[in-house]
Amino acid sequence: MTHDKQKSGQVPDNEMSGSTVARRKVLLGGLGLMGGAAAGVLGMTPAVSAASNLPPNIPEWTRVLGSGVLTNPYGQPSPFESNVQRRTVDWLTPDRVASISFTPLADLKGIITPSGLVFERYHAGIPEVDPHQHRLMIHGMVDRPISLTMSDLMRFPSTSRIAFLECPANGGMEWRGAQMDGVQFTHGMLACCEWTGVLLSTLLAEVGVAKQASWILAEGADGAHMSRSIPMEKAMDDALIVYAQNGEALRPEQGYPVRLINPGWEGNTCVKWLRRLEVGDQPWYQREETSKYTDLMPDGNAREFTFVQECNSVITSPAPEKPLKHGKGKYWVEGLAWSGRGRIKHVDVSYDGGVTFREAKITSIVLPRALTRFGIELDWDGSPMLLQSRAVDETGYVQPTYQQLRDVRGTNSIYHKNAIHTWKVFPTGEVANVQLS
Amino acid sequence: MCNFRNLFAGLVLTFISSSILAEGRAGYYGYGKPATPTEIAGWDIDIRADGQGLPPGSGSVEDGEVIYEAKCAECHGSFGEGVGQFPVLAGGTGTLNAQRPLKTVGSYWAHTSTLWDYIRRAMPFMQPESLESDEVYALVAYVLYLNDLVDYDYVMTQDNFTDIQLANREHFVPDPRPDVHNTRCMENCKNAEDIKIVSIVRRPEPAPAEIAVAAESKPHAGEKIYNQYCVICHKAGVAGAPKKGDAKEWNTRLEAGMAVVTEHALKGYTGKSGVMPAKGGFMQLTDEEVRQAVQYLVEPNK
Ligand code: HEC
Ligand code: HEC
Repeated sequence: MTHDKQKSGQVPDNEMSGSTVARRKVLLGGLGLMGGAAAGVLGMTPAVSAASNLPPNIPEWTRVLGSGVLTNPYGQPSPFESNVQRRTVDWLTPDRVASISFTPLADLKGIITPSGLVFERYHAGIPEVDPHQHRLMIHGMVDRPISLTMSDLMRFPSTSRIAFLECPANGGMEWRGAQMDGVQFTHGMLACCEWTGVLLSTLLAEVGVAKQASWILAEGADGAHMSRSIPMEKAMDDALIVYAQNGEALRPEQGYPVRLINPGWEGNTCVKWLRRLEVGDQPWYQREETSKYTDLMPDGNAREFTFVQECNSVITSPAPEKPLKHGKGKYWVEGLAWSGRGRIKHVDVSYDGGVTFREAKITSIVLPRALTRFGIELDWDGSPMLLQSRAVDETGYVQPTYQQLRDVRGTNSIYHKNAIHTWKVFPTGEVANVQLS
Repeated sequence: MCNFRNLFAGLVLTFISSSILAEGRAGYYGYGKPATPTEIAGWDIDIRADGQGLPPGSGSVEDGEVIYEAKCAECHGSFGEGVGQFPVLAGGTGTLNAQRPLKTVGSYWAHTSTLWDYIRRAMPFMQPESLESDEVYALVAYVLYLNDLVDYDYVMTQDNFTDIQLANREHFVPDPRPDVHNTRCMENCKNAEDIKIVSIVRRPEPAPAEIAVAAESKPHAGEKIYNQYCVICHKAGVAGAPKKGDAKEWNTRLEAGMAVVTEHALKGYTGKSGVMPAKGGFMQLTDEEVRQAVQYLVEPNK
């Protein structure tokens, strides 16, 4: 909105430059009234001015000056992109304070998720943590319990890595059958960022951990005091105490000013607004590791501490949000693959519901425990298709079918659903979420 | 006395020697401050299955019932049955291998400590960490009672805490994954004729651009605030809150005039059905935001 106001504020200075500007003013005024800039642009531009902006005409934006530096001291996406937003599904939770929003995967490119589009999941809202008064306490079975300010923390050797972050309930609504109408909701509890901070192992060396210590409790400073028990091996391996995301301070909804990231593991273990790490010699059995985030099997037993996010993939275009719009002909089919156990080795794509697969190209850098982008050229003859992708990771694990998953785990385990996903493409190019026999 | 002095000297010595040792060690930076026992005690709220971390205290089922009715029943129901979508706290025993399992403290949880820990840490939902230790003991006892795990005259204390064993405790198993195995078949992986679509979800709107226009051309300024802050009570009618969309209820209330109703939302109000906290308890909201939310709240549902 500010953007629009400043732009229209500029118009009078250029009033002299003729009718284009006058129309522009009308357009911008319209935008303001409509409330959503893109809504206005998308709704009005084609009818009023599209043709006059096309060659051989000179587009209106080419004949006037644009807004100056600091129009947006913190840059924002183009108003034409305002449709690219996190969204929620209200029936999933009783309120929005302990709730979830989804990453708009269909509109994203490459492997990095912009910070403002990373899905949200929290249990007591986003606390407004003052970084000057925030402390990270490390205690328990350690020689020297310490309390760190944010600036103490930032003095330690710093490291950055790119890793995906996925809620283990991602896709959990689909165990019994197709239920969600877009890739944003079938797979959007997923993101991948560059995370910067201090290795947890560095902090553990600093406090001196007792020999018998084997678990660490990580706890947040939010109203839920969200807490999980983390095994010492992970803590000593690649767990990262993170203060920056994609090059800037963490976003409030991502745990500002500091969070835990356990690369490749359940997003829920990556405790946000991290205030406390307690070292101990057994797990704590917190609510989030018994009542939730345990996987109920058909025999009534439940798996506990199911940390790793297994190999998974999905086609993000076409998808219900990205129908095939140009009739028969060539399309670039693309998607994302990831594995909590390491690197993606292959991604295979099927157009016929899994009868035949062909290997897709990996089109991004391939990093362990990071999103990996794949693509393949499709020459579509206009007939219906059943599109699938199937990823293989460097351990040789092949993403399973729904049937294979259900044969072992039934349909009540909620978490860790990484089945091969199917999109049905209709002759119209429209795409629907389906499950096959 | 003498013993005490020795112990003290010993402690000092241990402390000094450990930090001297640390200083000589690679990877030691000495940043931050030692966390004092008082500082740790203020934040160390976790309870372990073996009772480690439990504060002294006790609470009876009888006391628990009173506190529960006052602070919990509005969301979780008087019998732990759950109001609206709020979690069910009791029942479900024997359903874990059924079609629709009901996972509750009684049917699913492994340790009483989890209940103690979680109630103190996170409940009541709107006022986390507001309960005294004795209240938590009483509430734990009461939730166990709702699950038929203790009798009405039961009193829970720090000492008898670990006597209570939850039935499902033996039914948690370690993670056996990778437990599902597929092969990387490239051709004739299945019979094309066998493929049937067993479930399908189509998007109501064909193109996202149109969704954007639809969603954004009619925004209600108060909708966001309502969804963020007021929905907790006004969706399911928690604590006696008038439900959004209940036209009859709102018409009656609006007879007093919009100004009065809005004033009640801003300043707080105790009426016949319950307590509306000032700004719903979210004092960070501006008056304008609350006004917009009220406007949205009283509107009939579309
Ligand atoms: C305003 C509504 C509300 C009130 C009042 C409330 N709770 Fe809750 N309770 C919730 C919500 C919401 C959750 C789930 C939170 C989440 O998923 O992060 C929950 C979760 C729980 C759980 C865990 C349930 C499970 O199966 O995992 C327990 C136990 C619980 N509450 C006990 C209590 C007790 C005891 C009180 C009273 C002191 C209380 N609650 C008051 C809303 C409420
Ligand atoms: C903790 C629960 C709770 C929350 C959160 C809450 N309300 Fe209420 N609200 C109530 C209750 C209970 C009543 C009914 C009081 C009565 O009439 O007895 C009420 C009544 C109202 C009324 C009617 C007042 C009247 O004069 O009849 C309005 C308007 C209202 N709330 C607005 C809001 C708005 C706006 C928000 C969010 C900013 C909000 N409430 C959040 C519990 C809540």
